[in-house]
Amino acid sequence: MSSSTPKPPPGHFNILYFASASSYTLKNVESLPAPLPLGKLFGVLEERYKGIRENVLESSLVTLNLTYVDVDEGGEGEGTVIQEGDEVAVIPPVSSG
Amino acid sequence: MDGEIGNGVMKTASNGVNEYENRRLTDDEFDRYSRQMIVPGMGKEAQLRLINSRVLIIGAGGLGCPAAQYVAASGVGTLGIVDGDVVEMSNLHRQVGHATSRIGMKKVDSLITHLKDLNPLPTYTPHPFHISSQNAADIISKYDLVMDCTDNAATRYLISDICVLLQKPLVSAASVQKSGQLIVLNCPPAQQGLIDKPYPPCYRCCFRKPPPPSAMVTCGEAGIMGTVVGMMGVAQAGEAIKILASNLHKPSTSTNPSAPPSENLCQPHLLLYTYDLASGIGPYTFRAAKMGGRKKNCFACGENSPSTLTLEGIKGGNPNYEQFCGLNAASTTLLPKEERITASAYHQAKVKGELPEHILIDTREKEHFSFGSIEGAVNLPFTTLLTKAFKIKRAGQEEGKAEDILPPQAKEVSEDAPILFVCRRGLDSQEAVEKFKELGLDKGGKRKIMDIMGGMKAWKDEVDPDFQFI
Repeated sequence: MSSSTPKPPPGHFNILYFASASSYTLKNVESLPAPLPLGKLFGVLEERYKGIRENVLESSLVTLNLTYVDVDEGGEGEGTVIQEGDEVAVIPPVSSG
Repeated sequence: MDGEIGNGVMKTASNGVNEYENRRLTDDEFDRYSRQMIVPGMGKEAQLRLINSRVLIIGAGGLGCPAAQYVAASGVGTLGIVDGDVVEMSNLHRQVGHATSRIGMKKVDSLITHLKDLNPLPTYTPHPFHISSQNAADIISKYDLVMDCTDNAATRYLISDICVLLQKPLVSAASVQKSGQLIVLNCPPAQQGLIDKPYPPCYRCCFRKPPPPSAMVTCGEAGIMGTVVGMMGVAQAGEAIKILASNLHKPSTSTNPSAPPSENLCQPHLLLYTYDLASGIGPYTFRAAKMGGRKKNCFACGENSPSTLTLEGIKGGNPNYEQFCGLNAASTTLLPKEERITASAYHQAKVKGELPEHILIDTREKEHFSFGSIEGAVNLPFTTLLTKAFKIKRAGQEEGKAEDILPPQAKEVSEDAPILFVCRRGLDSQEAVEKFKELGLDKGGKRKIMDIMGGMKAWKDEVDPDFQFI
């Protein structure tokens, strides 16, 4: 992980928003309380940003500490817990060019 | 493979890819490519591989122009370009392979004109039409590597699927507004359905389903910085050149055991570029995220994919890419007729003085609004409107709270004065009407809330042809 990233406060993890996730939340990065089971991430974000699940999250890929994690139900990421100091990224597909 | 080069004639690979003789470079080639051939890791061998490779660039736009320039300049043997559009003035801030003097020309012809001047040695093949389910396999089968430089999700899924089926590596880039993405997929290519060991992912393994159409934005709508898309196109060319020069594009089969190690491509990195107009280069400018490999349950390349995805199926319209991306489903009329007014009717009523005192809210982003609007309009960008509406709803709609969403100018008119919305093309304005009614701002029907049909586009078409519409 890049050392130039601002560290999240104690008891938190950083979440990065790319492309349309950034325009939806109007943020590039924020800190959320840790620990958080990966399976609850979308619910937490939906609570904060209504409609984000349908419009952004369901088509996005998610990384944990810059490595892809499978957030699908029954996927390999099931059981993963986001820990204090982790970095999560929400990466929606970009189609234009 | 590497050891055989010096012996004279290179053996034919079992799959027919990159069959060539080790020959002396012509004086032209030697001179032209000398600066890149002396870079450590390149050399004559890598240059000959480039000269003997065939690259297909799909899309001759913001990605395709820089990608084609560098791929052509590097000396690939054959470069095919697919695009059905013609060059427009609004392309030129980013599509730097075209020219002002070639506005109106087919993009493939315009770009090839430029490329021939840059490097006359490659063979250039124009495909002057859009790629489709019907023609994709025929075109792609003639090349060794594919570069996805297209501008829409449906085409991206189609290209990836065909590349899986024909075992072609795919270098995929995309860019909009201030963001860019780049990833190498399906490289080295492996047979569809194999999951006995790690294999590289396809586009579907990374992005299982497209965003809803309402959330998809194009460069025409959201805008694009030329340098952002240009950077992605150049990086894309770099990956293609690397793959071809290093022989990584060959299908990995048991008959090709001497293929170079490429484990890192089985879990490729997705490069993310974020350009911030308001700050310097920061920690988020470039990121690389490690992707997973081929997904066991992938529709296109996973365990059961041979029964779900075939070349014959695609040609026959299965899957239906446009439907998958929701392109036919989107309804553009949300409101009943009595809650809408046409741009010309609004204008005529205003000219005749028949328009009652009202508030006109323009919901376009402030950059669009900065080029002007209908006289008297106030700006409340749609995203801001949604955020405010959400906050008010969460707070429980206490007395007076809902009024907070109204622009300050609302205080200058009577409290039952109608509210009218206008947006860019007439969809956001309808949603804005619905949001305001949800908040009770129509006071049970006492206050009229309406939208101007077709947005500022209609205003330009029906009322003011000089309006600067983007």
